[in-house]
Amino acid sequence: MKYQIVIAGIGGQGAVFLVKVLSIASALANQKCLGTENHGMSQRGGSVSCYVKIGDFYAPAIDEGQADLLIALEGNEALRNIQYLNKDKGVIVMNAPKNFPKVDFETHSIDAFKKAKAKEFPIDALNVYMLGVTLALDARFPFTCKEIEEAITAMNAKVAEKNIVVLHQGMNDAKVQK
Amino acid sequence: MKQILMGNEAIALGLIHAGVDMLSGYPGTPSSEILGNFQKFRDKFKVEAYAQWATNEKVGFEVAYAGAISGKRTCATMKQVGLNVASDPLMSASYIGLKGAMLLISCDDPGFYSSQTEQDSRSFAKFARIPVLDPSTPQEAYDMVKLGTQLSHQFESIVMLRPVMRVSHAREICEVDDALHVKANQGNFERNIPRWGAVPPAGRFRQGLEQIDRLEAIKLWNWEHLIVPKTHMLKGSRVLCLTSGTGDGYVKEAVSELGIDVDILKLDMPYPLPKENLEALFESYDKVIVFEESYPCIEEQLSSVKLYGKLTKHVHLIDEFSKDKVLSAFAKAGVIEPNHAYQSEKYDKELPKRPPNMCPGCPHRDVHYAITKTFKKKKSIYTSDIGCYTLGLNQAAIDTILCMGASISMASGFSISDPDKTVVATIGDSTFMHSGVAPLINAVYQNHKFVLIILDNSTTAMTGRQTTPERTNPHQIDIKRIIEGCGVACHEYVYEQDLNKTVDFMKSLQEAYKTATAPVVAVVREFCVLDKENAVGRLGNVVVEVDEDKCVACDSCITNYKCPPMHYNDAGKMEIDPFLCAGCGSCLDVICPTDAFVKKEEN
Repeated sequence: MKYQIVIAGIGGQGAVFLVKVLSIASALANQKCLGTENHGMSQRGGSVSCYVKIGDFYAPAIDEGQADLLIALEGNEALRNIQYLNKDKGVIVMNAPKNFPKVDFETHSIDAFKKAKAKEFPIDALNVYMLGVTLALDARFPFTCKEIEEAITAMNAKVAEKNIVVLHQGMNDAKVQK
Repeated sequence: MKQILMGNEAIALGLIHAGVDMLSGYPGTPSSEILGNFQKFRDKFKVEAYAQWATNEKVGFEVAYAGAISGKRTCATMKQVGLNVASDPLMSASYIGLKGAMLLISCDDPGFYSSQTEQDSRSFAKFARIPVLDPSTPQEAYDMVKLGTQLSHQFESIVMLRPVMRVSHAREICEVDDALHVKANQGNFERNIPRWGAVPPAGRFRQGLEQIDRLEAIKLWNWEHLIVPKTHMLKGSRVLCLTSGTGDGYVKEAVSELGIDVDILKLDMPYPLPKENLEALFESYDKVIVFEESYPCIEEQLSSVKLYGKLTKHVHLIDEFSKDKVLSAFAKAGVIEPNHAYQSEKYDKELPKRPPNMCPGCPHRDVHYAITKTFKKKKSIYTSDIGCYTLGLNQAAIDTILCMGASISMASGFSISDPDKTVVATIGDSTFMHSGVAPLINAVYQNHKFVLIILDNSTTAMTGRQTTPERTNPHQIDIKRIIEGCGVACHEYVYEQDLNKTVDFMKSLQEAYKTATAPVVAVVREFCVLDKENAVGRLGNVVVEVDEDKCVACDSCITNYKCPPMHYNDAGKMEIDPFLCAGCGSCLDVICPTDAFVKKEEN
């Protein structure tokens, strides 16, 4: 299997956390995984993009036109990274308001900021929430909910329970919206 | 056993497994996580090891080098521009050699993600005449730490490991040792004055000859052990790709995905190269293309009319690698027709720019604001330094950035070259300890008149909040006493989230400057908002909102103060993003000409 994921967001939204979860999930699923994270300067509220490449890969970065999935923790960061998506099969899962500009890719959009403002889930779990949305809506996403749950638990058992609740909330909200 | 490791974690674990028990260095992206992870593994495996930050890279290098002379296996970590600071001891240590082992880890940053330069540490290794290993993934970084430590001992030479950001911050499932097999060496310095104390010309001349012999032996080892085994995999294509580090991964992926018929030979040790042996390999090829980041280190060591690379302008000269750049090089060298398989259209409309910015609630923002408010732009020069406060650039509150410590020495220079302007230098506490003390002594020594403001948040914030000397030893090392020890008064301000007070402090410095005959030096006692221990009790909890009737959309706040939660809403009025706001309340006074920021409620 070969599956490439771009995770885009703003520094502080927890994109790096998702790289860690997905790499653990790959190990649990007996897949090779190579990814890359943003640290340092880019952590300071700037645009962040991380890559996860599952399967036989040798270079950690993703090239233009290659990604199967783009998870964007904020809508504009999805638009900023669309050149990485595979033109035939690339899928976007993003946090964006309803009236957001359309692009020529299969796009699953949810207004997570609105839900967080209504205190439906804590904003610091936005990353896990969007992973839940991805699980529910990306038909080719290579991991099961169980694998992701296990990966979240392996990451940090202390906060796993809270995170898994948010994961399922994301999944349910996505299904309801659909 | 298998472990999921980030590159810098893999390096740290490799150091433990290689029996390294002395580690020193200075933080700098992308190298910063090596030392912290080493401490984590050291404690986990309950091994005895020294692993501490030094005041700068030169100091860190020298601490580790003394350990290696005493027979221990040691390591110094830094980023590539840090290696410039450590270059003085490196050049000499390369002549002298060592007894135990020393791995010098210098992390490069092709693409300028967090660095002032794109310089190639492999080329520095070549200049210093020490061998260098260039990993392409975290797994290779782990393996090469062990190999490098072993080679360092075998050849009595410092060995460099050169991971780039895409290795240090990559994450991979790695195969690592199940247990600790190597025991650390006991240190025992054996007096040998002709070696450790060699003086020029005779002593160093002899060591120079030894250095040349050593390099020849390493070249041969490189050929026999690292290159020859790989030559058996060459299939006899017409084109040979010589790769190093991450360049290898991009070439491999592009070649396999597009079915391009070339041979690939990865050079794990890009210096020193067995030139004659490699060039003999070229005979059966029509073309040889070198793929390396970021300088032509391999290419400069070889000569052949078949050779294509950066020097012949077939491979890009700046920026990090990509598969598109690989295809472009193949096309330019006539190996394939132009191919745009790795190009795709960007979003064609304008998107909000999101450059790095200081965190909401960061005291640096207030200090920069207060400086430009007090020392007017037309009559001032603002020199600054390397750290989070560099992002004062967003507020147009900084005129120059050069390298660690240069804010103070350049302030000296400007005070002489443009004496009608007031020079205001800003430097963080960690950078001051790193390279700021010597320029301050110089400024006092030569009576240079400028204002120096040391932004003391008691941490190395930009690189991940590593400890600083005065944080660990507050009773011994104190910035105020260092300044006073230089013979000038220290103006001290304990920062409060009240911009009026910060501006008043700057005005007091302006008054002091009027009659000064030497530098006016101040320390602002700040905190880092991410530093839970220090920030507790000092962060506000104010909810600020904008009075839309008062806001005239004048841009003043987002130009001069530039706090991330501030943005225009659909009505064209300023709005505060409640998810981003830290609640400091600093924006309530001073910054808005129409007083549109108002307090909503206390949380």
